[in-house]
Amino acid sequence: MSTEFNIVSEIYNNTLVMRTDGYINNVAGEKIIAEFSKNFSGSMNKVVMDLGKSKVVNSIGISYLIDIIEKLNESNGKLVFTSLDPTIEKTFNIMGIFQFAQKADSVEAALK
Amino acid sequence: MIDTDLKLEIVLPKVPDIELVAIQGLEKMGSYFGISEDKIGEARVLVTEAIINGLEHSGGDNPYVKVEVTMTKDKLIILVTDNGKGFDPESVPIPEIEKKLSSANKRGWGLKLMKSMSDDLLIESKPTGTKISIIKNLS
Repeated sequence: MSTEFNIVSEIYNNTLVMRTDGYINNVAGEKIIAEFSKNFSGSMNKVVMDLGKSKVVNSIGISYLIDIIEKLNESNGKLVFTSLDPTIEKTFNIMGIFQFAQKADSVEAALK
Repeated sequence: MIDTDLKLEIVLPKVPDIELVAIQGLEKMGSYFGISEDKIGEARVLVTEAIINGLEHSGGDNPYVKVEVTMTKDKLIILVTDNGKGFDPESVPIPEIEKKLSSANKRGWGLKLMKSMSDDLLIESKPTGTKISIIKNLS
């Protein structure tokens, strides 16, 4: 398993789409926050986070994702997770993440 | 395939991403026994969380965790021991997403995840270290 973590962002119709690749730990969490802060604008009401290439997420990394959910809640925006590995989806369910964020099968589905 | 168990014993120093070494061993063992990806995925969470919890609480000039992973085709036993000063597991609050969203501290989910994804979890902690024992059924 590679320890390299990468994140790329695109903006589609005023929606920020971030795609991660690799293990989401504390260092990756900080990179996600930095990428979000760099690209998110207050006029956006949706952020899509595609985790299809991240098969392992630890609880410290997820705490950074909760930070993004909080920031979006404050601006009436929503976070949509896509392409979730079944274990990550179960992890998010245990934590109650989907009470405050959504999920979709793909980025395309999330953008509809 | 052998009928007996497979055992991985490793001492991990406190360096970034070191938990992935144990994860790789776990995945190899799971593949050997033909364990389902769902079960291995949950086992991955258990090993990851136990190790990062142990390394966070390990101490002294030489912080480390000792990891023992024993697997049969039916059962996984994970033992993670650290050399920290111990903690009272009963004093660890159960995290709730509503409270975490409005809190500066959004961490503290490791124990909840380990309890939820395991079939048995025991934490033995004393001033010289903590041992986390996890059992997960694989069949």
